[in-house]
Amino acid sequence: MDSSLINVEFLIDTFFVALSGVPIALLVTVVALAIALPIGFFLALTRINEIPVLNGFTKVYVSFVRGTPIIIQIFVLYSILPLILSRIFEQYNIDFPIYDVNPLWYAFIIFSFNTGATLVEVFRSALKTVSAGQLEAAYSVGLSTAQAYRRIVIPQMLVSAMPNLCTATINLIKATSLGYAISLQEITLKAKVAANVGYNYLEAYIDIFIVYLILCITVEYLFKVAEKRLSRYKALATA
Amino acid sequence: MEKYFDINYLWTALPQLLPYLWITLFVAALAVIFGSLLGLLIAVFKLSKNRFLRFIANSYITIMRCTPSIVLLFLVYYGVPAFSDYFFGIYLQDVSTGVFVVITFSLQFAAMMAEVIRSAYLSVDKGQYEAAVSVGLTPFQAYRRIIFPQAVVIALPNFGNGLISVLQEGALAYTIGFIDIVGKANLIIANNYNTHTLEIYIALAVFYWILSIAIEKFFGKLEKVFSKGQRSLKTS
Repeated sequence: MDSSLINVEFLIDTFFVALSGVPIALLVTVVALAIALPIGFFLALTRINEIPVLNGFTKVYVSFVRGTPIIIQIFVLYSILPLILSRIFEQYNIDFPIYDVNPLWYAFIIFSFNTGATLVEVFRSALKTVSAGQLEAAYSVGLSTAQAYRRIVIPQMLVSAMPNLCTATINLIKATSLGYAISLQEITLKAKVAANVGYNYLEAYIDIFIVYLILCITVEYLFKVAEKRLSRYKALATA
Repeated sequence: MEKYFDINYLWTALPQLLPYLWITLFVAALAVIFGSLLGLLIAVFKLSKNRFLRFIANSYITIMRCTPSIVLLFLVYYGVPAFSDYFFGIYLQDVSTGVFVVITFSLQFAAMMAEVIRSAYLSVDKGQYEAAVSVGLTPFQAYRRIIFPQAVVIALPNFGNGLISVLQEGALAYTIGFIDIVGKANLIIANNYNTHTLEIYIALAVFYWILSIAIEKFFGKLEKVFSKGQRSLKTS
């Protein structure tokens, strides 16, 4: 086996290097989702209820995020954020080393910004599937708006939002592979750095590919389970 | 410090980038053509009664959905020359990087299109085909004259979305050294000793934003034109 094509030993070693980037990728995904979910939901509500200023703002925000590649958003945010922050810190004489910040923080901001816009659209279309009568009925039995949303609207909405949420989550995990642009130590960057030594790029990318495949299939499976559990709300929703 | 961000620089950057926009568009167009053909094939596989073919189609779609563009890009960039050299003795190191960009995004677009084509095909009522055959059309004629035109209208919005997404994913082509609009932008930045980075990136964002909105509007119009006179219950 004159394996000039693939260095199997390196392939196996680097697989674990790539795997060691999974916690960072998942951390970014979870934090970004935790920030983006409420933002997306409330902005979706402003779109549906046509709240004057916020509605227009949300439109532009969603249009920008959907209209530009993520890598460009990363480029723009990564160069604009330090600029703005250093201005503010200068103004108030705060001595803060803005250029030494852990890229993780930038990753949180950038990916929340991106996912937030996706979720606005996901929630907007999901909210539309819940008929207005549901909310009226909730009011008429004496629930407050918060209660009505929490107990009546949101559970039903989630049922139809689930497939799109799954897609958004997977896209987010995939997008973390662009973390190299802000030197985030995630799956892709770690394996690539390992490959730099001996130019074993093909092996490294095969490893990266397998890791993402495993991640993605696991997430899809989890969402399927969640969808099944949520679907008990569905019987009434489509009646 | 005042001059760190210079809005005027944006106006000098735009004309420098514009010629490279065509390269971006050209590559995207090629990817759309090859991707649609491959997508059609995969859709046929997925709709076929053969279990093995369905398995191939499903695996292909899952793998493409789960692989980040940048990983696929590098897999193709390093993998295709290595494989062709190893198995066929064909030396591909000197091939233009553009070829690998087109291959990557065709593969990705094909997976998107397979789903679009499949769902469009399934949404055309079976009775349409039966009716066409019963008035004496051959199966091929029925597909070409009855099923296909209807499926195209249904597929249009998703096709437009796919187009926008392949264009945006194409922004990563610079990572393998391809000089499209993003590659050129990075060259300009390097030539300026890394100053005016933000202005260039904003110019890029503007290009993509306008392009995406234009495509969206165009497909919206197209859909309206094609669905004229269609009697369906599409009220939502």
